[in-house]
Amino acid sequence: MTELIVKKLNKRFGGLHVLKDVSFEIKGAELVGLIGPNGAGKTTLTNVLDGAIQPNSGTVYLNHHRIDQMQPFEVAKVGLGRTFQVTRSFRRMTVLENLYVPAQALGTKLSKAEIHDKSMEVLEFLTMDHLRNEYAQALSGGQQKLLELGRLLMLNPEVIILDEPFAGVHPKLMKIIYKYIERVNQSGSAIILISHQMDSIFSLCNRLLVLNYGDLIADGPPDDVKNDPHVIEAYLGIDEEEAE
Amino acid sequence: MEFSGIFWGVIGWMIFWGVTGSIVSRRVYLHKDLDTSNTGLVGSMLGAATGPVGLAFLWMKTPEITTRMMLFPSLATVAVFMLTFSISDPGNLCVTNGSFVASQISNGLIIGIIYGFMALGLTLIFSILGVVSFAHGEFYMIGGMITYFFTTVWFPELGPIVGILAACISTFILGAVFERVFLTPMYTGKVDRPVEYGILITFGLAFTLQYFIQATVGANPVKAKRFFDFPKVRLPSAEDPWLIKTSRGNMELFDTISISNPRFTAAVMCILVFLALMYFLRRTWTGKALRAVSLDRDAAAIAGINPNKMNMLAFALGSMIAALAGAMLVQAFSWLPQVGAIPAMRSFVIVVLGGLGSIPGAFLGGVIVGLVEAAGTGCIPNAQKAASYIPAYGMIVLTLTLLLRPTGLLGRKYASGTHGKV
Amino acid sequence: MNKTHAPNIAGVVLIAFFMAFPFVYTADDYPYIMHILITGFFYAILTASWTMLAGYAGQFSFGHMGFMAVGAYTTALFSHYIYLTPEPTNFCTEFAFGDGYLIVLDPIGVTSSTLKQDCLRQAMEVWGDGVAVTPMPVWLGITLGTLMGGIFGFLIGTLVLPLRAAYLALFTLGFSEILRAAISAEIAVTRGQAGIELPALFQDGVTLFGKHFDKTDKLPPYFIMFFLLLFCLGLLGLLAKSKFGLFVRALREDQDAAAALGVNTTRYKVMVFVITSMIAAGAGATMAHYVGIISPNNLVILQMSLIVAMAVIGGVENIVAAAVGAILLEFLLEMLRNSFQIGPVEIDMTVWRLVFFGVLLMLTLRFSPKGLLVPTIDYFLRGHIGKETVAKRGQNKPDDEPGSEAVN
Repeated sequence: MTELIVKKLNKRFGGLHVLKDVSFEIKGAELVGLIGPNGAGKTTLTNVLDGAIQPNSGTVYLNHHRIDQMQPFEVAKVGLGRTFQVTRSFRRMTVLENLYVPAQALGTKLSKAEIHDKSMEVLEFLTMDHLRNEYAQALSGGQQKLLELGRLLMLNPEVIILDEPFAGVHPKLMKIIYKYIERVNQSGSAIILISHQMDSIFSLCNRLLVLNYGDLIADGPPDDVKNDPHVIEAYLGIDEEEAE
Repeated sequence: MEFSGIFWGVIGWMIFWGVTGSIVSRRVYLHKDLDTSNTGLVGSMLGAATGPVGLAFLWMKTPEITTRMMLFPSLATVAVFMLTFSISDPGNLCVTNGSFVASQISNGLIIGIIYGFMALGLTLIFSILGVVSFAHGEFYMIGGMITYFFTTVWFPELGPIVGILAACISTFILGAVFERVFLTPMYTGKVDRPVEYGILITFGLAFTLQYFIQATVGANPVKAKRFFDFPKVRLPSAEDPWLIKTSRGNMELFDTISISNPRFTAAVMCILVFLALMYFLRRTWTGKALRAVSLDRDAAAIAGINPNKMNMLAFALGSMIAALAGAMLVQAFSWLPQVGAIPAMRSFVIVVLGGLGSIPGAFLGGVIVGLVEAAGTGCIPNAQKAASYIPAYGMIVLTLTLLLRPTGLLGRKYASGTHGKV
Repeated sequence: MNKTHAPNIAGVVLIAFFMAFPFVYTADDYPYIMHILITGFFYAILTASWTMLAGYAGQFSFGHMGFMAVGAYTTALFSHYIYLTPEPTNFCTEFAFGDGYLIVLDPIGVTSSTLKQDCLRQAMEVWGDGVAVTPMPVWLGITLGTLMGGIFGFLIGTLVLPLRAAYLALFTLGFSEILRAAISAEIAVTRGQAGIELPALFQDGVTLFGKHFDKTDKLPPYFIMFFLLLFCLGLLGLLAKSKFGLFVRALREDQDAAAALGVNTTRYKVMVFVITSMIAAGAGATMAHYVGIISPNNLVILQMSLIVAMAVIGGVENIVAAAVGAILLEFLLEMLRNSFQIGPVEIDMTVWRLVFFGVLLMLTLRFSPKGLLVPTIDYFLRGHIGKETVAKRGQNKPDDEPGSEAVN
């Protein structure tokens, strides 16, 4: 079973204390929302979990592997995948090649044909199979976002961090992303969802983490979090209209 | 060198502690949750200058890194290096002859100002367009060529100013046209990798221009005549000329420092143009618009500035500055179609050292490179070797800068963006 | 017949042509044409490997000629300073080696031709004719040169890890310039601008298929260079098609995203430097033995410009196109050497051809950034893809069709 244990994570940039003793655990196929106002440290937390940034102190264990001192590519191999806030497809590679990269990087015993089949399956799921030989740069923004999600599936991750997957996405594509999240969750992987779209967060997630200036101020079911006075003060209180 | 063993031993020691300092200091600072952005520089310089003693202090105290903490160890390292040199080679002119040293330093300063001026053009282009123009040396060469033809071949009676103006105008136009025709696809997202496109296309321009000039002018070196002669001056008096003494082609200060006329006029001209340029950038609307574009392109566009026009202006102006440097120096050196390569590389070194995009940095970098080259050519015992190594001095500075402080001396921290270290 | 086979067929025809050419062609300028082709193959190897580095991996390095020179100078110095003798000289630095002695000459540079100072020659005078001095085998020098290229590639690759785009270009240019300055300056060892001489590839000639070829004959080096080119193209092509090619392209497109997907970006970045510099060094070493002399002039920017221009004009993201482009352009450049006269003006084509070359480079970059050959290949290999996409789109239900927005 998936088990992500984050303990007393601290990160400073110069004088800025961006993560302050952040601790939480994710067990099993949870769907966790990570919210917080801008500058709360959400992206930094993602980068630390992913290995792009090393924390100043604290530990992160994923399925008993200590990942906080690892390089991003090692973290990916242990089973943590992430998307980026701004879509980052490999623009001048074909859609299929985009999917081959993580599959090959994993170094599994899959043959090329098996990787191809799996990629095609993922593309069909994303309703993009007809685009398989197009260069990614020819795709629309929403399609590139789907492609990025598809790449993650190829990695067979235990934990997926989705950074703003709904930002600027057409409602039709939103449906596919919902389906995607469902699929990943059913396969037993955990999802950490970062989004400013409160309605999506509240309808999808069964647990919320709230970051505020580096502090993890709330951790619990959405309804509890919604009524938590700290959260209301720090976050929901400020942009209430947006949240409702 | 008399005691080369001492020299290389000390150098080895400095390198060892410098490398150790740069690597370990970073670790130490990281471990203590401190800012590590300049630890490499401080660690290496402190290690090189003071060895384990200073490093132990640094690692134990881990003080916050200030500008002073970067400056003093760096100066100390240079001092230790010079001391070692003078001990291991006591007979060298650079050690024994004070007036030789003074002369070298002042000549290094003067040529450094000219280098810095030329690099200014490169930094201007970079800060607006985000392109490192590999054709910078060719504009320098063309500026010199045009001036040579005007002042020496076609219209010797017109005076140098006309030639210099002609060089400026024609390179300005050439730069503007090139930018319009070849660089515009960069901004519209038509090319996949704009930065690389910029490098390659200016590289192609350099190639074309160099061989075009060689095909039309020939490969023989040409030499322009001196722009003007110094008046004969003896101060304070003809009998006792210890303060200043001039002949037509040379000036002597304090009886020791000798400066050649072409270099002196070139440096003075560069300073004057630099001041004019600063006035233009700080006081005029167009200049302010240029600076605005260099800070934030999109915001400037919203404020009603046409960034495309500014691109053209910046490239033309930057190329013209290179040409002007060439026009001033054509009277000092003999001129060839290939003459641009070394100044171009020197300009790259200077802008990286000073900080890509920083105008004062370009001047500071120019002076430093000028001094390093003067020291290199003046002090290396074997004159032939020293001359052969000229292109390498700057490149060593470049390598050290990129390794120790990629933002350069005065670079904006994030000026490099996608171009440099991320 | 499927038109996707056309490029492959063209490739086979091209190989067959170059295999047959030296036997079929008999005109008077045979050695000259052969020389051009050998040089063309040499440039093709360099261009193809630079294409792997710059086009595939996105590392726009201007130090490729530096790596070439590392290979060439390694084998040059190796063959110049190291010999095997059966007896000790008692003059030189020497080590017992098997039943003989490994002699290391003192680097006294140009002056060593005045025989008196050369320790080996002094020893030979003492020995008389009885003792045979064996120079080092050429293939060993080339191997060492290739390895040395790999070591330099590793060092440079490690140093440039944090650098991107313009900084990388400047740094590698700096490397090349420092190398050139050092070679020019250290006359005692490298003979500086005068250049250092190397033995021919087959100093004593070679007998192939019962026919003896002299050391100046062009046929053996032609085939050595040609097979080296084929080998390098095969290797690079294999790499490009494999995981390696996939990863370096991913890292060219987005280093962070590639790392987040499990690609060890550091390793592949260094690896691509090591592999391409080894190829450049191997080609340089072989070429230096063929030409018989290597000087720092091979390192000037013009040479690097040629590589860049050939790669861009051929197609900077296709290894074979770049190689073919390099051979064609080298041929063209040589053919354009003939000066001619228009009225009273003599057009010196030796220079003007380079002007045209530069203009061609700029125009190609501007108007056909994929190069001049790649679009043709793409027409055959990818021409059907647009149609296919449209056809497949028709089959999908238009309702949940994300592709309906835009496919340009």
